[in-house]
Amino acid sequence: MIAELRSIPSSDVVKAPQAVPLLSVDGLKAYYKVKLFGIDREVRAVDDVSLKINRNEIYGLAGESSSGKTSLIKTIAGAIRPPLRVVEGSVRFAFKDGERDIYKLSPHELSAIRWSHLSYIMQGSMSVLNPVRRIKHAFADFALPHVSAKGADFTRLVERHLKRLHLDPAVLQAYPHELSGGMRQRVTIALATICSPEFIIADEPTTALDVIVQKGVLSMIREIQQEFGSSVLFVTHDMAVHANLTDRLGIMYAGRLVEEGRTRDVFKRPLHPYTAHLISSLPRIGDEAPKKGLEGSPPSLADPPPGCRFHPRCPLAIDICRREAPPMVEILPGHRTACHVAQADPARVRPVA
Amino acid sequence: MRPNLLEVEHVNKIFTRGGFVSRRVNHAVNDVSFSLAADKPEVFTIIGESGSGKTTLAGMILNSLPPTSGQIRFRGKDLREIRSRRARLEFMSHVQAIFQNPFDAFNPLKRIDRYLFSAAQRFTECRTSEKAAERADEALHKVGLSLAEVRGRYPHEMSGGQLQRVAIARALVSNPSLIVADEPVSMIDASLRMTVINLFKKLRDEFGVSIIYITHDLATAYYISDRLIIMQKGRVVEGGDARTVLAAPQHPYSIKLRQAVLSVDDAWRDSSFTGGMPAIAT
Amino acid sequence: MSTLRILRDLLRYNGEFAVGLMLVLIVLAVAGCSFFSPYPPMDVYVVPPDVPPSWEYPLGTTSRGQDVFWQLTFAIRNTLLFGIVVAALSRVISLLVGLISGYKGGWVDRILMSINDTFVVVPLFPILVLFYFIMRDEMTWAMLAIITALLGWAYDARLIRSIAMSLRTREFTRQAVFSGMSTGKIVFQEHLPFVLPIVFSTTMNNINWSIGIEVTLSVLGFTDINTPTIGGMIYWANQHTAMVSGIWWWITFPIMLVIMLFIGLFLLAISMNEYIDPRSRLSRLGGQA
Ligand SMILES: Nc1ncnc2c1ncn2[C@@H]1O[C@H](COP(=O)(O)OP(=O)(O)OP(=O)(O)O)[C@@H](O)[C@H]1O
Ligand SMILES: Nc1ncnc2c1ncn2[C@@H]1O[C@H](COP(=O)(O)OP(=O)(O)OP(=O)(O)O)[C@@H](O)[C@H]1O
Ligand code: SF4
Ligand SMILES: [Mg+2]
Ligand SMILES: [Mg+2]
Repeated sequence: MIAELRSIPSSDVVKAPQAVPLLSVDGLKAYYKVKLFGIDREVRAVDDVSLKINRNEIYGLAGESSSGKTSLIKTIAGAIRPPLRVVEGSVRFAFKDGERDIYKLSPHELSAIRWSHLSYIMQGSMSVLNPVRRIKHAFADFALPHVSAKGADFTRLVERHLKRLHLDPAVLQAYPHELSGGMRQRVTIALATICSPEFIIADEPTTALDVIVQKGVLSMIREIQQEFGSSVLFVTHDMAVHANLTDRLGIMYAGRLVEEGRTRDVFKRPLHPYTAHLISSLPRIGDEAPKKGLEGSPPSLADPPPGCRFHPRCPLAIDICRREAPPMVEILPGHRTACHVAQADPARVRPVA
Repeated sequence: MRPNLLEVEHVNKIFTRGGFVSRRVNHAVNDVSFSLAADKPEVFTIIGESGSGKTTLAGMILNSLPPTSGQIRFRGKDLREIRSRRARLEFMSHVQAIFQNPFDAFNPLKRIDRYLFSAAQRFTECRTSEKAAERADEALHKVGLSLAEVRGRYPHEMSGGQLQRVAIARALVSNPSLIVADEPVSMIDASLRMTVINLFKKLRDEFGVSIIYITHDLATAYYISDRLIIMQKGRVVEGGDARTVLAAPQHPYSIKLRQAVLSVDDAWRDSSFTGGMPAIAT
Repeated sequence: MSTLRILRDLLRYNGEFAVGLMLVLIVLAVAGCSFFSPYPPMDVYVVPPDVPPSWEYPLGTTSRGQDVFWQLTFAIRNTLLFGIVVAALSRVISLLVGLISGYKGGWVDRILMSINDTFVVVPLFPILVLFYFIMRDEMTWAMLAIITALLGWAYDARLIRSIAMSLRTREFTRQAVFSGMSTGKIVFQEHLPFVLPIVFSTTMNNINWSIGIEVTLSVLGFTDINTPTIGGMIYWANQHTAMVSGIWWWITFPIMLVIMLFIGLFLLAISMNEYIDPRSRLSRLGGQA
């Protein structure tokens, strides 16, 4: 049987919105607040983001470099530390055993959740493995306090988990440097998922890996998701990965979520001019047409432009764009965008040649 | 006949690690040979496994790392003979480097222009600061910037794409004939990526610069490269015309690599996957 | 960006800085008064001995017939100068060794670090006392400063080296190399700014540390007691059993002044730290860390 990275909904009917999504983010604002000699400066890395992630789906997040993707998911994972601060909004999870508001939990409850319900694979997390300790010690250090099994039971549990993820339990005896980059990344993912979390967050887990290794890591994430029926929030620059792995896709630009929809819809019919440009600039093997990058420079998050933050670079910008920030509106079923022009006439947004 | 621009001949690099008891030998680059012609600028791409020795090979071509055996010649001259500071500067003026992460490519506490001026003063005849500024401006124009936009600015005041373009301009100041770019686009987003890739194309076509482009991104490799080699475990397993190799790879590893490439077109095809993966029990 | 504006901001928004600066300024003012002293520092019995603080002698006089106030101005000047010289010298050594060792790596690093480790482990105090017994009369103020500096750089050099080592692997270092910059330029222009915060905060602490050393040695009589220093004053006071005979002002005022200096420098160190830390400096420039 051939595995598929993306499980495609059987019909074109959009899944009915689930009664209670696993994750609801509402009006979330998280700023880097730097206070120096009484002068407050803030970098609005996450500015008024709302999104929902259903049970059993892979949600992709893409966007410009330094548009706030890492900041957003750190906030969602409750893994923020100063100067990053939540200014407004909420992050709520509806776990099987009850609802949790991340920012109403005590630090103790939060760390308990982080292992059993939520796992966060950080950008560059391959380096969390201690170079002078064998992998099995990493499992003991990180996971032992969070599972009920002890001693031989724990070892059996770890081995079973590794086998389930098609990893040879022999890796437990290895030192991190003896493993290849891809192997190390898989071990970190195994480590992060040992408690069968309901929600998995992964930040660029495949950047700088070769395509074969990348595919292995991606299929592993897919498998875990299917095994455990968990949800995954997956961040990467690589649009091809989104095309193949994610069910729904959110696009971020300058601290805001600007478009969100089923992955294939976003690719087929982008509704935000930034996304439209992004999609049409992707090179493909076998395609020799020239592709263009985006002109202009990304806005400063400490002093973003008024109105729509994309307006200085947007070919479709009209007057209102300079004054009013567009709200996020559902234009097609399950497909939202924050663009004045698209909201007036979606047909005006089309891929650029 | 003019000697080739670059000749890499049976180059090996062996790293040994550990003490007397547990000596570990790592054959990072194993008998690699290729050459770049002097009169035909091209984009020469190196792709391959993680840890297959691409960065190590680049380091040896840049003369920052001595090969264990074999020879690398630039314009007929063995790199091993380039030892003195003067010879090194002379070499660096012809062979330049671009790095992976534009956000870390410049010292965050220093103005960006210092690198441009330093390159102009060290590598060219421009001794005075006016001449150096002129030279820097010229290089910046090649990448679609100008000194007026860059002068006096700190890295955090520029975007990733601008930074990567300044880095390329910095490499261009001395009019090098060869640029080695190790994963120059892997840290930046898709649209920025095309800005940089198009720039490489322009350098080759308009300014006659040869580029060694190291990447994991086969789609951009297909888009710009003329020739490519595929490396695995330190060896070159396949090489040749880029589009031919990518369209119909021959070596089992290349085939596997080609098949593992995820395509954005899969977003609207219903079934996207062909082989190479462990099955999922459903 | 003007230094004046930074100073103004620091004064306005940073209480520690303001208090620290005030204390240090007072101490400096006292030291500055030495230039107007009516009596040469070494002369004794120029005033009536053992007079308690009064209008005529605000801090009283010593049993050796010196005016405590004027004596104190010389003492604090020398002590302060000693601290500054030691700190400056040892900073220079630790910067040179730390930066070069960290950037060069390889055998340069191994050699420099083995020297460094030797200095880290030698016990400081016995060495100084030993030197005193060897040199006796040649143990001048300057000699003591040099020896203390030589003993006081090693720990910070290691700290600086570890920063330099991580800087070496940063891409901008390679960018500098490929821009044709020389080792000196890379080390002292590219890398130095990153270690300055450490250097600055350790400078204040190092001044405090070396003053502590000097005072302790002087109190015990292991230094050239003919140069007036704070430690020297306390030494003479002890010699005359000042505390027992109720001449408290001879001992109390020098101690108070040196404590003011300690606290002032400490406060400056922590407040400057915040300013000089490259991360906060960056974000003040409006950038990202
Ligand atoms: N510690 C910090 N202090 C101040 N600003 C910060 C800090 N960390 C990040 N930022 C800023 O916040 C913004 C968002 O950064 P973030 O890392 O979330 O971006 P990203 O989308 O993950 O980018 P990338 O794709 O490059 O990983 C950037 O402008 C960045 O400069
Ligand atoms: N300084 C070094 N000392 C010891 N081993 C090294 C050193 N540098 C690289 N290696 C080893 O040499 C091999 C090749 O590494 P290299 O970085 O050249 O691979 P790469 O092809 O660039 O990989 P990637 O695609 O992950 O960047 C690896 O096994 C690596 O561990
Ligand atoms: S709101 Fe206006 S400026 Fe913003 S993306 Fe839409 S058309 Fe462009
Ligand atoms: Mg990120
Ligand atoms: Mg590499």
